[in-house]
Amino acid sequence: MFPGVDGFHWTAGHIIFLCLFFAVVLTIALTVISAMRRTIGDFRSHRAIDLCWHADFADLPATDRRCRHELAGRVISRICPNAFDCRNCDKYSEFAVLPAKGMTHDLGLNYSSDRFYHRAHTWVKPEEDGTVTIGLDEFADHLIGRPDSVKLPGIGSEIDLNQSAWQMKKNGKEISVRAPIEGTVIAVGGPKENWYLKLRPRMDVRDPKTLRHLLRGPEVYGWLSRELERLQLQLGAPDAAPTLADGGMLMPNLMDTVPRADWNTVLADTFLEV
Amino acid sequence: MSSTVLTDSRWIARGAERTSFSRFLAWLAPWSAMLTLGVYAAFLCLYRGLNQTNMDNRFAFGLWIFLDLGIIALGAGAFFTGFLVYILKRAELRPILNTAVVVGFICYSGAVAILMIDVGQPLRAWFTFWHPNTHSMLTEVTFCISCYLLVLCLEYIPILLRNRQLRRLPSFLVFEHQLHNLVPVLAGIGTFLSFFHQGSLGGLYGVLRGRPFAFRHGFFIWPSTFFLFILSAIATGPSFLMLVTATVEKVTGKQLVPQDVFRRLGFISGILLGIYVAAKSIDTLIWLNFTSPAEGFAPWTYYIHKPFGTPVLFAEIVLFGLIPAFLLLYRKTAAHRGWLFSAAALACIGVLMNRFVLTVQTLALPTLPFDDFLTYTPSWQEVASFGGVIAYGVIVYSLSYRYLSLFPQPKGEDAHVPRS
Repeated sequence: MFPGVDGFHWTAGHIIFLCLFFAVVLTIALTVISAMRRTIGDFRSHRAIDLCWHADFADLPATDRRCRHELAGRVISRICPNAFDCRNCDKYSEFAVLPAKGMTHDLGLNYSSDRFYHRAHTWVKPEEDGTVTIGLDEFADHLIGRPDSVKLPGIGSEIDLNQSAWQMKKNGKEISVRAPIEGTVIAVGGPKENWYLKLRPRMDVRDPKTLRHLLRGPEVYGWLSRELERLQLQLGAPDAAPTLADGGMLMPNLMDTVPRADWNTVLADTFLEV
Repeated sequence: MSSTVLTDSRWIARGAERTSFSRFLAWLAPWSAMLTLGVYAAFLCLYRGLNQTNMDNRFAFGLWIFLDLGIIALGAGAFFTGFLVYILKRAELRPILNTAVVVGFICYSGAVAILMIDVGQPLRAWFTFWHPNTHSMLTEVTFCISCYLLVLCLEYIPILLRNRQLRRLPSFLVFEHQLHNLVPVLAGIGTFLSFFHQGSLGGLYGVLRGRPFAFRHGFFIWPSTFFLFILSAIATGPSFLMLVTATVEKVTGKQLVPQDVFRRLGFISGILLGIYVAAKSIDTLIWLNFTSPAEGFAPWTYYIHKPFGTPVLFAEIVLFGLIPAFLLLYRKTAAHRGWLFSAAALACIGVLMNRFVLTVQTLALPTLPFDDFLTYTPSWQEVASFGGVIAYGVIVYSLSYRYLSLFPQPKGEDAHVPRS
């Protein structure tokens, strides 16, 4: 039928039919090419990590997306609409002035008041030289104990907020830890040092807005008590009858002491994986 | 909570409750056996030729074409739901969108696979694109189905890339996001392509002047069957989606979509089915009173050959057309789950029956004085290939349901109430 094929000659039918067909094929091809070009553009403009986090955040269960002001008891119920980025929340200043009403009893874990906490169980400590130190919080530390291996980023590498900052392995499980702040890696530590990264933040750490997205004070207690409650349910026997909690302290090295628990789920819930 | 139970839990969406891996494998086993037999039968047909079937030059369309027409009609829910959500902005149907894409993908890929066996020369499949006969309805069908399968693949990719493990690769998730943003374009193309290939599949029968049982007049180059096929497909596609979702709900014991979605789909299906029944009735009356006599055939001669008597015509139009349309539209029956899904099932049986009648009865009836009424029984290879496509569909849907997010997860409330 086409040129080069014996007996071919163009008719109006050929032209209309082939124009329609190739218009459709061209549109499909352009759609795919456009999606690929936009994807490349997102990576070049550093929007990719933010898009990934927003996609992940949208798929988190509602219990993981609670607003910090609910954790502190300032509001009864609120789901965060900003993917935990309080820096761009227009309601932050409205709720932050309300009195906190959460409990602040001792939970048996050391959560220092000079540190800021990310929901994926990392802490950020601002240093006097404008850098920050980042580590795993006590809850995560008690869960994992000493990891079998740690893969840290190279010095000088750029890290975005909520991006996978470093990876660990424990009992065959891969753990990816989200970055609590964006910046350039200037030093790396490890479990022995009790910190993992030192960063030079992209924004001035002395500006209160820079660390606004992280939890502190009564919010930490509200969040942590829910996390402990979740863990207690997840580590309990699946068919056990409901029982009242009798308090107690979180044992260290839980992945080794309770090996038969559903650690895939526990770790996903702890480190905000979807 | 043993380690074997959790073998594939890393691939299952967080918070999604699924049966144990071993039970899932047990569920897949018989379907895999059926698929394997189907693949073997298909191999025999491709390797030894179409003499493996009971079709011949006279009875050239059989079980496979019936299957193709049937699943393409039932798969119309994919393009039609996309059209309703993205073009007509019916956001309330969003919860059913992913499953519509997967069902559409299964139906069209299954149909293309069977067509490849039926044509019998897969290595020469490109001939149809390089030597297209632009006067043939089948050419349009081939082009449109090929393109639409490509569109369905592109619509399926974003669902696939949101798998728990695949999404860990940022490039996949960002590409998914960008492709998802462009899905309305794909939905528009899908609607355009589906309109024409659903129609041309019907038009294919309507232009058979030598087969007066199927021959119809129409509008411009399109016989009335062109429009009837489109109408019946968009009427029953939503019903089939309802049935698939209700079956999955029954098997899993979970409510997957809000009840309102079923009611809305049922209403849409009922309205379109009602229009289809009216159009089909008018078309049948015109054919019986004008078209067929003009071709020299007394209309009732078509129905003297058993089992294709007038009850078949009655069943097609009334039992599987008018009655389900009424049940889907009448408020009391539409509100009752049992009646709603029974009506959807009747509508789906109706469209399958319509395709069967047009394929098999058309070829079975004698058209010349010395012709006999022909009978045809498919060979085991045809039946096994048919079963293979069904098994393929069940397996792909089961895997998609287990590892992908076909239905929205409950996310909880978004309201915020400042404490006074």
